[in-house]
Amino acid sequence: MDDEAGFTRLLKITLEGTKRYLVKEENDGSHALTTARQFRPDLILLDIVMPKVDGGDVARQIASDPILKAVKIIFLTAIVSAREAAGVGGIGGFPFMAKPVSLAALTAMIEQTLGPQQ
Amino acid sequence: MVDAITPNPSPPVRVLVEDNPGDVRLIVELLSAYSSQFRVDGQVTRLAEAEEAVERADVDLVLLDLSLPDSQGFETFERLLSHGRNVPILVLSGVDDESLALRMVHAGAQDYLVKGKFDAQLLARAMRYAIERNAAEQELAQEKNLLRSLLETMPDRIYFKDLESRFVRVNPAMALLFKINRPEDALGKTDFDFFLPEHAEPAYADEQEIIRTGIPMVDKVEKETLPDGRIGWALTTKLPLRDRAGRLIGTMGMSRDITRIKRIETELAAERNMLRSVIENIPDPIFVKDVHGRYLLDNEAHCRSLGRENREDVIGHDSADFFPPDEAAAFKADDDRVVATGKPMENHEECVPDPSGGRRWLLTTKAPIFNPETGVVERLVCIRRDITQTKEAQEKLKAANTDLSLALSNLKQASEQLRSIQLQLIEAEKMKSIGRLAAGVAHEVKNPLAIITMGVDYLEGLDTLDETQREILVEMRTAVKRADNVIRGLLDFSVPRQLEVTAARLTDIIEHSLLLVRGEMSGGQYSLTTEFEPDLPELRLDSMKVEQVFVNLITNAVHAMPEGGALTVRVYSKQLTGVGENLAGSAPEVFQVGDRVVVAEIDDTGSGIPEGKIGKIFDPFYTTKPTGKGTGLGLTVTRSIIDLHGGTIEITNRPEGGARATVMFRASS
Repeated sequence: MDDEAGFTRLLKITLEGTKRYLVKEENDGSHALTTARQFRPDLILLDIVMPKVDGGDVARQIASDPILKAVKIIFLTAIVSAREAAGVGGIGGFPFMAKPVSLAALTAMIEQTLGPQQ
Repeated sequence: MVDAITPNPSPPVRVLVEDNPGDVRLIVELLSAYSSQFRVDGQVTRLAEAEEAVERADVDLVLLDLSLPDSQGFETFERLLSHGRNVPILVLSGVDDESLALRMVHAGAQDYLVKGKFDAQLLARAMRYAIERNAAEQELAQEKNLLRSLLETMPDRIYFKDLESRFVRVNPAMALLFKINRPEDALGKTDFDFFLPEHAEPAYADEQEIIRTGIPMVDKVEKETLPDGRIGWALTTKLPLRDRAGRLIGTMGMSRDITRIKRIETELAAERNMLRSVIENIPDPIFVKDVHGRYLLDNEAHCRSLGRENREDVIGHDSADFFPPDEAAAFKADDDRVVATGKPMENHEECVPDPSGGRRWLLTTKAPIFNPETGVVERLVCIRRDITQTKEAQEKLKAANTDLSLALSNLKQASEQLRSIQLQLIEAEKMKSIGRLAAGVAHEVKNPLAIITMGVDYLEGLDTLDETQREILVEMRTAVKRADNVIRGLLDFSVPRQLEVTAARLTDIIEHSLLLVRGEMSGGQYSLTTEFEPDLPELRLDSMKVEQVFVNLITNAVHAMPEGGALTVRVYSKQLTGVGENLAGSAPEVFQVGDRVVVAEIDDTGSGIPEGKIGKIFDPFYTTKPTGKGTGLGLTVTRSIIDLHGGTIEITNRPEGGARATVMFRASS
């Protein structure tokens, strides 16, 4: 989930290129909940700074949604410092990665966040 | 019968006989028959011859006949007598005339013998008596003359008084004072007739005292007041007057008019008094010293300035009796110099202890007084003026001046600081703008970078790439990394200027920073030495930010030694004394003398900072590193973090080579 469509498009290509993930893009924060309910992801890569509804709001909606509350979230943002992120709305203990991020680092974080369930 | 008078053994009396030749012969015979005592030296028949003989004084006695060819009677005698030679004259006369005889004797003849009525014995006796009597008369006349001369000519007043202080005799000088025509007019009168009682009474008392005691009164100064208003002064000596039997019969005295002397004396005294009162009334201390430094004269002000009440406590003493040894010696030296050179010492400033405590400032002038005859310095006259108040005012003025200039300098310093703070504020404001800009730019740049990174990652995953394509992808990844680093550096400006301060050990933070940069040291031969003083005080720090500081500084140190080298990190505490090198570094406005600080020093053995660049190292985007190695923001961020902590950072070249970064934080009290 990122307002930067180019970024979500590349993420989809590279992650699906690993043959281990199925990726659904969403570029509008206000559609985040609807899209997630339909797609039912195991994990959401969530941008923080977005127009209309920002990443913090989306994270709180998902965490409080009865269907989606177990969904894992990794913040993926152009903002670098945790303190700045906290200033934006808090990341509520979710993992956090700064853009640009390498594929290796991202997949490592995803594996770590999902745990050994699948 | 032999004459009763013993013949005189002295030379014979020379007799001049003056008569007709027949009588002369008779007299000569008579005398020579009688005695060898008389020698008839001459016999003349004319008066003129007798006059010549008397004039020559070669006769002792003249036997004179009144009837001579050239003179007759009384005139003969008178003429001879008029020569005044005091030669006794015995008149021989053929006329037995009692009245003429008496007249002759009264006029000065020694005797009057009638021819034919005397024999040798009578003649000889008459002659001897004549000589004796004449001698006695001459003596008395001499005495009388002396006394008369004394009385008549003496300008001093001489007087004789009886037992009742009545004048018996006064001299013309006295008559002149009494304004009487003749001295005799005073006889029988007293001082009360001529003087006012003011003088007459004590004079009378003095005389009665002399009569009572017989003791003279010598040199008494008397004031004489006369009824006509004259006032005079006399120096009087009065003596007891005795008769020949020694009985006290009155007094005699002599008074000298000393009115003029007295007037001069009075004038002198008046002048002296005036000078004295001038000296006394001058409020400045004035004193005169002899050449040995002893006070001869001083005035009230000087006496008081020495803390004394009485002149006797000052006169005859010297400075050492009133001043401590140092001051006294200085005064003596001044005195000696004036005496030796004869030149005055003018307006010399002296600081002396006050008898009532404290110190006083004096302006002293000392001038020599020369002996008018020898020209040698005999005395010193000194005058002092107390200038303590002026001096104190001066001192106050000076102090005020100093305070003012200090205040001015403080003001200048404050103004400098203000200016510097203003510049810092402007700088900080600029930095903030850069930070905000950077944050905005970063966000916009990071997404494209993320896309490129993803793209490169995807392409690298393809199996179909050749070597050239892989190289291109590596270059692209490195370029993205560089761009990302620049963005990260810029973003540090957007960090809110607030600290999360907790108690922390600086050594712990530095240890952690060293762990983080260990990777940087993998490329060369590095040695790391840490010298941490044990038991350092904990500091109030934002650990994460300070960690960033030391990561930056240590990274810089390592980068300064690309081929390897020795890295030394030292941490210790010290108290700032402001002495020597123990100063508050380049920021004296941050710390004060007495502050306790913890100091961290990071030494490298690299090439140091190029001369002339040392002032620029904290400027944003300034870097000495090769392009792509540094953002030029590390030290800028580092300093702003240290500034926020109220600490200082200084980077210097070490004399033994390499650079030293010195960071100081105030130990929390």
